[in-house]
Amino acid sequence: MVSTTPATRAPAAADPGPLRPPWSARALIAAGLLVAAVAVTWLTFWWIGLSPASLAAGLDDTVRLLRRMWPPDLPGAGDVASMIAETLLIAVAGTGLAALASVPLAFVAARTHKGPRWLRPPARVVVVLTRAVPTLAFAILFVRIFGLGPLAGALAVAVHSVGMIAKLLTDAVEETDPVPAEAARACGAGEVQVAVSTVLPRVFPALTGIVLYRLDINIRASAVLGVVGAGGIGVALQTALGSLNYHRAAGIICVIVVLVLLLELLSVVVRRTVLRPTAHRRTAALPAGRARHDVGWDRGRVLRVAGAVATGAVFLVSLWSLDPDPGRLSGAWPNLRAVLSGMWPPAFSGELLMAVLESLLMALGAAAAGAACGLVLALLTAVNTTPWRPLSAVVRVLLVVVRGIPDLVYALLFVAALGLGPYAGFLALWISSTALAAKFFADSLEQLDPLPHEALTSVGARQWQAFAAGIWPQFVPSFTGNGLFVADLALRESVVLGIAGAGGVGYLMQESIATLRYDTTAAIVIAIAVVVYAIETLARIARRHLL
Amino acid sequence: MIGTPVLRLSEVGKGFHGTTVLDGVSLDVPQGQFVALVGPSGAGKSTLLRLVNGMHLPDSGTVRTLGENPAACSRSRLRALRARVGFVFQQFGLVGRLSALENVLMGSLATLRLPRYGVMSYPRALRIRAVEHLDRVGLADRRFQRCDTLSGGQQQRVAVARTLLQSPELILADEPVASLDPAASTLVLDILKRISAEDGISVVCSLHQVELALATADRIVALRGGRLVLDEPAAGLTAERLREIYDTAGARDG
Repeated sequence: MVSTTPATRAPAAADPGPLRPPWSARALIAAGLLVAAVAVTWLTFWWIGLSPASLAAGLDDTVRLLRRMWPPDLPGAGDVASMIAETLLIAVAGTGLAALASVPLAFVAARTHKGPRWLRPPARVVVVLTRAVPTLAFAILFVRIFGLGPLAGALAVAVHSVGMIAKLLTDAVEETDPVPAEAARACGAGEVQVAVSTVLPRVFPALTGIVLYRLDINIRASAVLGVVGAGGIGVALQTALGSLNYHRAAGIICVIVVLVLLLELLSVVVRRTVLRPTAHRRTAALPAGRARHDVGWDRGRVLRVAGAVATGAVFLVSLWSLDPDPGRLSGAWPNLRAVLSGMWPPAFSGELLMAVLESLLMALGAAAAGAACGLVLALLTAVNTTPWRPLSAVVRVLLVVVRGIPDLVYALLFVAALGLGPYAGFLALWISSTALAAKFFADSLEQLDPLPHEALTSVGARQWQAFAAGIWPQFVPSFTGNGLFVADLALRESVVLGIAGAGGVGYLMQESIATLRYDTTAAIVIAIAVVVYAIETLARIARRHLL
Repeated sequence: MIGTPVLRLSEVGKGFHGTTVLDGVSLDVPQGQFVALVGPSGAGKSTLLRLVNGMHLPDSGTVRTLGENPAACSRSRLRALRARVGFVFQQFGLVGRLSALENVLMGSLATLRLPRYGVMSYPRALRIRAVEHLDRVGLADRRFQRCDTLSGGQQQRVAVARTLLQSPELILADEPVASLDPAASTLVLDILKRISAEDGISVVCSLHQVELALATADRIVALRGGRLVLDEPAAGLTAERLREIYDTAGARDG
């Protein structure tokens, strides 16, 4: 590409040519996103009546509530242990079931799939639908069908998780090198054999990672399933709040926070040990005295088998703890039939669409405001931008704690403090979006190439200039991408916050099921799925054009 | 060619975490001279260059760059000094997502007050100058192309243009061609050489390739194990003698 020699000088001194860059699609999309974010935030503020005065009043009310909650009243140690155990078992059972269902689904949904063509579209639809409808929405439905308790919770966790696990696994399957699969096909292997013997081993590490990650998410989700009666520690929280026993509620929230923080710690440790390259690999030479056809038992194999057996045992125990006796399952059958037949035809209404719009506004406004606040916090915490290291550590710890509390708990608290309505939901989402955005932004800031910043420092640029010219332009794509991802997550949360009375479509959904108006339920589920999928698609398109 | 030295190192020593990287190095560079700094990896070439513009500070000895002592400079004074010294990096140090023109314009940041973002945030006069410098490295027609779509050689030429926009009195180049193919290497070094000759700017350029150093530089300075082991005009040197430095270094330090 070194075609132009520098010796050939254009008459630059006379006419420098265009000095203004041509308009690019990228710049237009970026500008459009910014304008849209500002407009939506403004619209949200207007919709929920947010103003400095109302914020101050809200702060007052919240402080008053917190004072009423102090001191927290912890339930007995035995109660705490059994509540935590139930929460964990719901998450394990749900995640395990989802993982089992996801593997065949992902293989069929992958673009590289060579089996029957007609299987792909339905597989994709299942993946999209289950991912778009939040766990709590499924939980409300399943409580109706299977009755109160952890069985409904675990199934809700499972069905929603299928979407994410299968989606990520599909990507992993599509990324594997196709040559080994072709080699197996050339040997005459069938498609199932090809999948199991050449693709599965290669996506297994990815699958393990995805499942562990999802388990982490699911434990957090299981902690609040009880709010709709689907088992776990959330049942106690709902009971305490319902009976206005705020001291007890505070105690249970403390337990949830500690549980989630321990989990965070554990997942950091696990990630470190898993990601660390193993020191010694098995050598090619065979140990002496072993039959040639015998794999033998070395330390690695013992550990792997023991791990697999232990995982399987824990999963079976968790299934058994859900109490899935045949009588109960067969009793659910007529309920399921009633729900499914009642769902057709879906009954859309103006009220419903307004509620969906409210959810959307709450989520987008909270995400935009959260992204702005999160950016400031991220700049304070990222090691390459922080003005002062100790401050970075303090903010980091604070963010972990804030992220540890589920959105629904914030919503319950704000509803208790400020009353019903989207205002409480917005505040809950704002807090969680800020903490999430700050984490994502700080992580990606730290991954940026430091060289441009160094080059600009050597040019003599000020700190702010070096940031604006050397770091910010690199950061724009991940800022946009992560910001859109936060909006996506906020939207999924916002459709269920209504369960706590914090505005949006969740309240209607719960009410429609309580009053057996399943046609409305169906319409709500469809509306949620469409909106979530639309936002996700928009985010994907924007990301693709900005990167 | 010969005037007051733009760069004077006296008995400079520098270490990191207990390892000595530079040990009693003295060097004068007069105005307009092209100095090639050769030596094996780890000889201290990069450290020496970074001492010159104050990105590192010496443990012992003194550095005088363009009459200033970077170690004694205040922050703003150091910034002013850096603005007078161009630095070319092996990995270019460009922001890949931005256009070539905007990357060149960043060379003027020290003369501007506020943070800048986007080509249009820079004054028109600077944009005209930036295009001229891009033209000088043969890339005026690529001004609006994203830097990460340029070839390695083109990216390094953009980086050189950015340095030129600083109107530097001294250019430091840290392995500027180590990640480039031979044709691009020759081109980039020719450009640096031409700038040095036409504008009377001193260039101190660390290089790996002995032949390139001999073909380009006025003077060869060789480092080995943090010590200055050779300092002669390029004209009287042969590739064989220079290569000995690498070989004996390999035998002794390895």
